[in-house]
Amino acid sequence: MAIVGLAVTLLGFVVAASSVGLTAANGMRLVIVLVGIAMSLGGIMGLINPAYQKNAVWKR
Amino acid sequence: MKEVLLALAVAWSLGTGLAHAQATDAPAAAAPTSITDADIKGAPTPTPEQKAAGDAAGTLTGNPADIPVSDPKKGLTIQDVVTAVGGNLIATNFVWTLITGFLVMFMQAGFAIVETGLGRAKNANHTMMMNFMVYGVGMAAYWLIGFGIQEGGVGAVANLGGTAPLNSEFAITLFGKSWGLFGQKGAMLGGSTYDVGVMVMFLFQMVFMDTALTIVTGTAAERWRYSAFIISSFVMGALTYPLFANWAWGGGWLATLGSSYGLGHGYADFAGSGVVHSVGGVTALAMAIIIGPRIGKFNRDGSPNAIPGHDITLVLLGCFILAFGWFGFNPGSTLGAALNGNLRISSVAVNTMLAGMAGSFSGMYYMWIRYGKPDASMTGNAFLAGLVAITAPSGFVTPMSSVIIGLIAGMLVCLSCEFVERKLKLDDVVGAISVHGTNGIWGVISVGLFADGKSNYAGAWNGVPGSVTGLFYGDAGQLVAQLVGVATLIGFVFTFSFVVNWIIEIAWGHRVQPKVELGGLDIPEMGALGYPEFVLKDEALTV
Repeated sequence: MAIVGLAVTLLGFVVAASSVGLTAANGMRLVIVLVGIAMSLGGIMGLINPAYQKNAVWKR
Repeated sequence: MKEVLLALAVAWSLGTGLAHAQATDAPAAAAPTSITDADIKGAPTPTPEQKAAGDAAGTLTGNPADIPVSDPKKGLTIQDVVTAVGGNLIATNFVWTLITGFLVMFMQAGFAIVETGLGRAKNANHTMMMNFMVYGVGMAAYWLIGFGIQEGGVGAVANLGGTAPLNSEFAITLFGKSWGLFGQKGAMLGGSTYDVGVMVMFLFQMVFMDTALTIVTGTAAERWRYSAFIISSFVMGALTYPLFANWAWGGGWLATLGSSYGLGHGYADFAGSGVVHSVGGVTALAMAIIIGPRIGKFNRDGSPNAIPGHDITLVLLGCFILAFGWFGFNPGSTLGAALNGNLRISSVAVNTMLAGMAGSFSGMYYMWIRYGKPDASMTGNAFLAGLVAITAPSGFVTPMSSVIIGLIAGMLVCLSCEFVERKLKLDDVVGAISVHGTNGIWGVISVGLFADGKSNYAGAWNGVPGSVTGLFYGDAGQLVAQLVGVATLIGFVFTFSFVVNWIIEIAWGHRVQPKVELGGLDIPEMGALGYPEFVLKDEALTV
């Protein structure tokens, strides 16, 4: 699951960076960049961290 | 016919009268006066007798006789004066940038005692040694590899007059535009980069890089194997930090978002809220996930326990040292004090101190209202949060905006610390993820909101003419550029740091054994206690 999370996090960056070439409208770019940031945050907090928390030292 | 001639005569006289009035009102343009070598030679200089008598008033020292002459037979010429003016301009900028760099280097001392004070006495030697050696490890990595990647393609920096040898950037073409990825000159400062201007750049950028590295040691303190820390820090100084710094400051693709895609002035980060603090903060986040919390930080039901630091006096003294160093961090980022709009260093310095003040107030009152006491360590962290947040916008915003940015930062760090600990269940010993990561990102975003368009550093920023202007002053494109930078920090830098430290975890192992952690890292890892004459609490009570 952590690897999927890493992929999603990186994909968020790719989406955000691509926004500048996909459209010339700043409003549209803003939306795409925010989607990219949300994807990356989701990857970190929703996938990577929970995967590591499963075996957290305080649960043993 | 007579009337027509009369009307023309009146019109002519009125016209000439008006023209005369205009000529009278306008100041007479002074004819340019040529200065000759003869004028220079006539400049008064004190006699040897006057100088021998001493210059208590300081009016004789520093005069035309002090200007080096190229040809003693000709004496002082205009060419000599012009050469001296150019040399003094660059010398002023060199001295300014070097001294501010020295101040930033001293921030390592601040970080060292903040982190050691927030840790427990049984780990004091280990925490202090990480902060001590991160300076050397980072510098070695940066000298060998990192500086070339970051600054190898930055080109000539006008304020320093001589960084032209840094002229090779590796770039690819995407969406029809060039995307700079990393520099290719400057490794080990050899060849043509053995240059006085490049040396100034290296020193200044190196101490910035080391600041980012030392952020991670605070988060992973009290359970990080010393050998793993050295490997991780070396990679960060050689690759992680330089890559993002190249994109933002070294002529890379983030800096050129303005010139290539019309996004404001490109990603604008005056002194490094993103480049330095967020890179350190997101790397700290990756480390906190990988290395896990300290034993005893969380109960079996997931509720957190407070593990107080052993010396709050060290913590607050360290915060003051950091604030002192910040006067190098932000104002020094002009890379000059003379001409090219660099007198704005006064504004940058005032913005810096105001944001720190505002952060400490809002953080202190947040804790006071929420928990009943003005928590000292969180007030210190809120002070630092204000400084972190103003780092990117310090060169672009008004004093009032600085106070607003600092006030928000002070509260944000408290909320973020609670979120990291209670929701994410991560153990961040010093709060570095929140102070540097969260507020670094807030600082980057605040440029896109509050930049007032009044700054003018040589007429352009990132190759785009005019001044950096945020959304509140009319440029939405700048905010988009800033958010692309934020996405890069969260999406790329985090992933890169995570993979690097994941590999180290598999190949070497980050965490010490539980027995070592419970007893304290000083003896097992470092061979000596930080406080050998102190009686430490029983290990069962020191978790």
